[in-house]
Amino acid sequence: MRISAALPAGVTALLFDQVKRRRRFEGRAVEILEERGFSEAILPILDYFEPYQALVTRQLRDELYRFVDRDGELLVLRGDFTPMLARLLAPCLESLELPLRLFYRGDLVRYQEERPGRLREYYEIGAELLGVAGQEPEEEVLDLFLRILSLEGEEIRVILGFAGALDGLLLAADVDDRSELARAVARRERRVASAASTALLEVVEEGVPVRANDLGSLSATRLEALQDLCARLQTRFDPQKVTLAVDLAEFAEDFVDGDLVRDAERRSYYDGLVFRAYLGGSAQSIGRGGRYDRLFRRLGCDLSAVGFSISVDPMLRGAGS
Amino acid sequence: MRLALPKGRNLEPALAAFRAAGLGLRGVHANSRHLRQTLEEDDLEVLMLKDWDLPLYVEHGIADFGVVGSDVLGETDGDLLIPARFREGGCRLSLIGPSDAPPAAGSQIRLATKYPNLAKRFVATRPWGAEIFKLSGSVELGPLLELSEMAIDIVQTGQTLRDNGLVEIEVVEQVNACLVVNRASYQRHRRRINDLVRELERKELVL
Repeated sequence: MRISAALPAGVTALLFDQVKRRRRFEGRAVEILEERGFSEAILPILDYFEPYQALVTRQLRDELYRFVDRDGELLVLRGDFTPMLARLLAPCLESLELPLRLFYRGDLVRYQEERPGRLREYYEIGAELLGVAGQEPEEEVLDLFLRILSLEGEEIRVILGFAGALDGLLLAADVDDRSELARAVARRERRVASAASTALLEVVEEGVPVRANDLGSLSATRLEALQDLCARLQTRFDPQKVTLAVDLAEFAEDFVDGDLVRDAERRSYYDGLVFRAYLGGSAQSIGRGGRYDRLFRRLGCDLSAVGFSISVDPMLRGAGS
Repeated sequence: MRLALPKGRNLEPALAAFRAAGLGLRGVHANSRHLRQTLEEDDLEVLMLKDWDLPLYVEHGIADFGVVGSDVLGETDGDLLIPARFREGGCRLSLIGPSDAPPAAGSQIRLATKYPNLAKRFVATRPWGAEIFKLSGSVELGPLLELSEMAIDIVQTGQTLRDNGLVEIEVVEQVNACLVVNRASYQRHRRRINDLVRELERKELVL
């Protein structure tokens, strides 16, 4: 009998040199993480579905592979490490010594449209820094993220922003649907942005408004701090290899204000710094992260939480091409 | 930079708009057999692609920017920036059938289309249901030969419908050619892209 070597859509196998390359990268990344005091968490591939109902966006929930186990429990295949780790830590936080520096690695499984570059099973490595207040953890996590990415990647572009940065401008716009406006800003639809305000058009064009105060005084101060952080980090990395830029349009749909997203299921768990990394010309991000105190608040805890994840194989494939 | 141009109905309006905005695009025309042309005077490489493939090429950074219809964008789940929509060459995506009566409330029809995702979203807003199936071309033949009761397809002048005894029942959405840009390319070539779009706006070539 002839057996086909075909695999389901969105699934791939690594063989020979590809395995050596992934393991070599992973080994070096783990070395850096451990040097910086991060310890590994090994998380299960199966979990109950119920805890994620309130923790993740509807889009992510729709992408999770769910099934009913033989005993009738509704289970999911692991689709995101961060909420899984958070929900496991939240009940025992009081007995843990903070801060916590944890990292993880493994496969995630999510349904994706069948398109090139969209995998349904993919390998991530990531880290979380929990329980350090202020801006320090953001700098520590970003520095770590960039060091790991630059182990293999060339021409890495990291875009920084913060959730809620455009909330004031969106709320001030005279439009019926502010979620649609935010979506148009994220897609750089100039006509829609310019009809709403000059400042939003400036954000679409340049990533930031000409006058930071147009964002509101609190967001203006945060933008200044973020630009300082961006400049500080850039000095530590070869600009030929890694470039950092602040661009608020990229994260226009990451709201904080409750009036903007009445539908809580559309809110991501990020509520502070947000960042994404791209390699070369690809529009598919190879890494992402940010501050997600909101996720712990949903679990009844008041905790500073910053983390990142890197999609290892797209990064290695992009770096090798 | 690489510009991806569509081979279909959006090519001529896009070429006219780009030329009016200052790009020469010399030698680029609908009948060209060149799939790839380097245009030194425009500092561009031009790729000629099928409409349905174009978003993928731009999304993956093979092309930095391109032109594609909003009908294709609405059907494909791509991650693209859309800084402008062209004024000329607009058309509409419409529900068509043998008579101008829409389906009765509560009825179930068979609906042929090239756009099953758009059709699904449209039907979800209507008081009737549909078994939606995809045809690759000549969608009008569906209702004409009774493979389906109705169809959702592009209507430009409506002449093809009239010639075949079909009518436009309802406009599903207006369709325009869109300027699409790769996310990473926008970061790298922000100034050049913004200058081009501003010029298109100044000449009132985009909406």
